[in-house]
Amino acid sequence: MQRRVIFNNKLLPYLLLAPQLAVTLVFFFWPAGQAIHMSLLQQDAFGQSVTFVGLDNFKEVLSDPDYRATLWRTIIFSSAVAIFALVPALLFAVMAERVVRGATFYRTVLVLPYAIAPAVAGVLWLFMFSPSIGIVAYGLKKLGVDWNPKLDGDDAMILVIIAAAWKQISYNFLFFLAGLQSIPKALLEAASIDGAGEWRKFRTIIFPLLSPTTFFLLVVNIVYAFFDTYGIIDTVTSGGPAKATEILVYKVYYDGVIALNLGSSAAQSVILMAIVIVLTAIQFRYVEKKVHY
Amino acid sequence: MISFKKALTALAVGSALATTGAVAQNKPIEIQMWMGLTGLGGETLTKYGEEFNKMQNEYKVTVSFKGQYPEQRAAAVAAFRAGNPPHIMQMFDAGSGDMMGARNAIVPVSDVFKRASIAFDPKDFIAPARGYYGVKDGSLLSMPFNVSTSVLFYNKDAFKKAGLDPNKPPVTWPDLIAAAKKIRSTNAANCGFTTTWLAWIQLEQFGARHNLSLGTQSNGRGGVNAELNFASNPAFVKQVQTLVDMQKDKSFDYKGRSNDASASFQNGECAMITQSSGAMGGYVRDAKFDWGVAPLPYWPDAKGAPYATTVGGASLWVFNAPNRSAAEFRGVAKFLDYLRSTPVMIDWAKTTGFLPATNAAFDYLTREGYYAQNPRAAVAIGTLANGKQGEHTGGYRFGRWTEIRDFYHEEVEKALQGKQTAKEAIDNAQKRGNAALRAFEKTAVASN
Repeated sequence: MQRRVIFNNKLLPYLLLAPQLAVTLVFFFWPAGQAIHMSLLQQDAFGQSVTFVGLDNFKEVLSDPDYRATLWRTIIFSSAVAIFALVPALLFAVMAERVVRGATFYRTVLVLPYAIAPAVAGVLWLFMFSPSIGIVAYGLKKLGVDWNPKLDGDDAMILVIIAAAWKQISYNFLFFLAGLQSIPKALLEAASIDGAGEWRKFRTIIFPLLSPTTFFLLVVNIVYAFFDTYGIIDTVTSGGPAKATEILVYKVYYDGVIALNLGSSAAQSVILMAIVIVLTAIQFRYVEKKVHY
Repeated sequence: MISFKKALTALAVGSALATTGAVAQNKPIEIQMWMGLTGLGGETLTKYGEEFNKMQNEYKVTVSFKGQYPEQRAAAVAAFRAGNPPHIMQMFDAGSGDMMGARNAIVPVSDVFKRASIAFDPKDFIAPARGYYGVKDGSLLSMPFNVSTSVLFYNKDAFKKAGLDPNKPPVTWPDLIAAAKKIRSTNAANCGFTTTWLAWIQLEQFGARHNLSLGTQSNGRGGVNAELNFASNPAFVKQVQTLVDMQKDKSFDYKGRSNDASASFQNGECAMITQSSGAMGGYVRDAKFDWGVAPLPYWPDAKGAPYATTVGGASLWVFNAPNRSAAEFRGVAKFLDYLRSTPVMIDWAKTTGFLPATNAAFDYLTREGYYAQNPRAAVAIGTLANGKQGEHTGGYRFGRWTEIRDFYHEEVEKALQGKQTAKEAIDNAQKRGNAALRAFEKTAVASN
């Protein structure tokens, strides 16, 4: 008796794949294709006059000094968010690993912020740091700090970085915790027997063994900072003051939705798409290589 | 996808027909209206929709909130492209130029009333609003609804504390600067003065108050080839310089764009604020101190000043779409007719603090003694409707104005941060604004 089931129908695999393919086509390829198409057109908001302009929109975007400033700002913002989301998460994970009593409670609390929508997280920080009504701003004022993110671009940048990083710590925490738990206890015990201290164990065993997780998270965090922080920026600063917190994805939104400059907005989103494709490709290559250490 | 959609539509139509047959063909015609108002204004406008539905059973109006004006507009644009825009859309003042640039997308309200054979005289609306939303032949493109203008609110308690006369609000900018400095030096408040809607008040309203040109072609009203020219007028630079200088000792404190600064007046932090008159309802309810309203200050050395301030707020636009029936347009006309009726306009003005958009409502409120009893409400209508009219008080009409306002915000913010001079701020705002206008011209001309 043959135990393996063999389907002779050649159509079946395609049928089984169809739902996933349909979702990908409708929700990814179609809009992406439309974005590419629109990036080659110049049109009014209502679509009543549409002219094909080739790559003019791209030329305009790439030669715009504002756009390059925004690109640079995005790199600073994303790196800062990634660092401030990764370092505390690793610290928390290492500490949570060692807790014996109430471990589940600590973990749950640390994971909670991930369940909060970006816009809500934004509002939360906005209120705490709002110069007129915020509790943290009030404390800063008492300490003599002239805190005004409405006017001071650096203050505004610090605020959105904190809000964006805070929200991502939970996600990183989860991965670091899982990574830590998969480190063979035997290695750590052997190190202890050899007389290694906590720091040495962390530096020479834990951190290197966590590196695939860290790299994966680094890429995920940068992608997060590039794209998902739009809600936080919109609620906290709307990209201001004087563009101090305008990152690429916010500019796409602003130019497309507020300014209704569809051609430029589409060109920018195509550029962003290219960036994310490159980032993903790097991630896959690296993670793939690093899977078997 | 398409055939599926068709099948669904067929199904829907089929069942609709079946129901109509069953309930003796009195299914009301649906009229969609999108608005950009929240809070008190939004609730009141929604209520008018419900009241209209109770009055008759031919049409069913649904008033829905689709986000703040810019987001709502983006949603309406997307709906229009999909062939199904809302019947009526409320659009704020700055969006008017864009709407006018897309003439095929809208039906002028004067035409909407004409098609429905309802008498409609644009002259029924107060002159500033009529001028703002009308075209050369006198007909109206959109119907003025929530009308506001800019005024100065001041905290009388803080004035007393600073040793200023609470019944003598500043009339000119030098008065205001002196009062703000006094408030700071006596520490009567943490900030002397702030402003909401930076570009609307310090550029547009400021321009009207001093009868200054913002752009060529009668401030953009003459055609889409208009160019901004405000940077050639030193008055605008001087105003930004004034704010920059005052920022140093917090006699002026910048509190953000749009309505963000409002909270700092309401909680007593700033003693004076230039603001939309539409904010009055909120202060009546929430401010825990004695406050007063004064006309927008002016520079006494400006020739002929003060002039009238100009219109802000929003108007109602009627969308065109290939599948719109004559019956739907008739319903739209009837609902607009209801909204502009005197009782509704009076209720609207009294509830929200917006100004009455029609002369009849204004006259009624005056006769009734409403303004005599509420002198604070009288200030706005006074500077708007009774102020001296000049060449540049009738409002502006530029495409992409939402974006151009933000250019002004960004450049002035940079000046306030000390990263550029006031002159550079104004020059850059104009330069970037003109680039946007040229891009707008390209698409707008092609559609005409």
